[in-house]
Amino acid sequence: MQIDPSIKSRPKYVAPELVASAGLQLFVSESDAGHLLEPLYRQCSESGAQWLVAEPGNAPGTLADSLSGYLQRVLSDAPVTTRLYVAGSEGFLWDIRNQALSAGLVDEQIQLAPPVTKARRLFCTHCYTLMEGVTSSPHTCSGCGRLLLVRDHFARLHGAYVGVQINAEDPEEQLEQEVLQ
Amino acid sequence: MSIDSIPVRVMAIEQVAPLIREFKLEAIEGKLPAFSPGSHVQVIMPGEAREIRNAYSLCSDPAMPRRYSIAVRLQEDSRGGSSFMHGEVNVGDELAITPPANLFAPVMAARKHLLIAGGVGITPFMSYIPELKRQGAEFELHYLYRGSQTGAYLDQLQQQLGSALHRYDSGQGNKCDLSTVLSDQGPGTHVYICGPESLIEGVCSTAKALGWPESLIHYEAFAAPEPGEPFKAQLTRSGKTLDVAADESLLEALEREGIAVPNLCRGGVCGQCATPVIEGAVEHRDEFLSADEKANGGCIMPCVSRAAGKHLTLDI
Repeated sequence: MQIDPSIKSRPKYVAPELVASAGLQLFVSESDAGHLLEPLYRQCSESGAQWLVAEPGNAPGTLADSLSGYLQRVLSDAPVTTRLYVAGSEGFLWDIRNQALSAGLVDEQIQLAPPVTKARRLFCTHCYTLMEGVTSSPHTCSGCGRLLLVRDHFARLHGAYVGVQINAEDPEEQLEQEVLQ
Repeated sequence: MSIDSIPVRVMAIEQVAPLIREFKLEAIEGKLPAFSPGSHVQVIMPGEAREIRNAYSLCSDPAMPRRYSIAVRLQEDSRGGSSFMHGEVNVGDELAITPPANLFAPVMAARKHLLIAGGVGITPFMSYIPELKRQGAEFELHYLYRGSQTGAYLDQLQQQLGSALHRYDSGQGNKCDLSTVLSDQGPGTHVYICGPESLIEGVCSTAKALGWPESLIHYEAFAAPEPGEPFKAQLTRSGKTLDVAADESLLEALEREGIAVPNLCRGGVCGQCATPVIEGAVEHRDEFLSADEKANGGCIMPCVSRAAGKHLTLDI
């Protein structure tokens, strides 16, 4: 499946770079994505940096309460000069980013590392169900059972790609599966 | 964009600081347009050699748009505008102003607003403060002035703001430690600076060195265009050639010839007066064009920028 360059909403990710002047260097990662941030963390002084790691085995799509609550406390005491670096799956990146924005940070302060997998979070535009780990299209919605075309349109609010029914005219029609890029 | 002017009458004049005079303006006919905090108007003044247009922040409450207030500091090296306002304007006189425009609006989503004013730079914040108070927004004002010259509205601000007002009278040796002010701030704090270029530069460089995100830093400087060498401007569309004098801006010279160029700030900030350059090197003095656009030389902001040599050819 080709990525359509005309789709502006799909995020482009670049490897994070350390902003040396930050008053607090804050790293947040899923347990299998730490290697993406480690070189940056090693450049920081111990006093000026903190690293929060999401525990493995959390239910997909829900930020573990412990991480979310801890991040909330760290951000509420953080200086305006904080820089946040995030690594993990794509949905996780945007969950952390959205939590940081609600704590007052702006996108300029937040760097999201390229997602560690191509698996997508999918948002069903019919029943609003969010599905995790979607790797091919079309995908059957776990909420309403419709067969969804996984589009490249990305909703930052949900950290998810948009899914729309692909066989509305003939729900019996089955379509060939494509692996998502 | 057409720039209509609004005739207004001077209702009251008050000396609000040794060098600052406040003018209350009222519409001669109908109502004045509503405005948002941080707005400014241009006052169009009949100067001796040419018409003078200066931008002044509205310093009254946006919830009460029936009257506008502007405050004008008498500049030692006035190009005519501030000395006209101080010397020639009396209660009852008519003036012409442009409708309000806003290039310095507060970001209402901010967690906290950190206002830093230098001298007559207090003016835009006089329209911010009533609105911030109505919204219940968290803010503090750091006000740097020289009591023998500026420091307008101090009593009023002290009464309204209490401990949210921090005063620094340089005449009494009170210095503002920008590093301390900028260090002790939480996420979502936006800083706004209005005052002399040195203050803006000081706050911006201190904030950047501390690691502030640039999108949280806002400033407004309405500096008069600096004089330069005289030059000739050739206009391809109208076929005219103008002489731009040393002490006038290219924009003023164009207006003198009856060539209307849209503009809002007359200070190299808003980008409205951008004019294509066909030939000739430009001495860029604006803050609007990017470094690349300046190097490319295809465009000039005639409100502040000039020819680097003896002549320019403009596509106008």
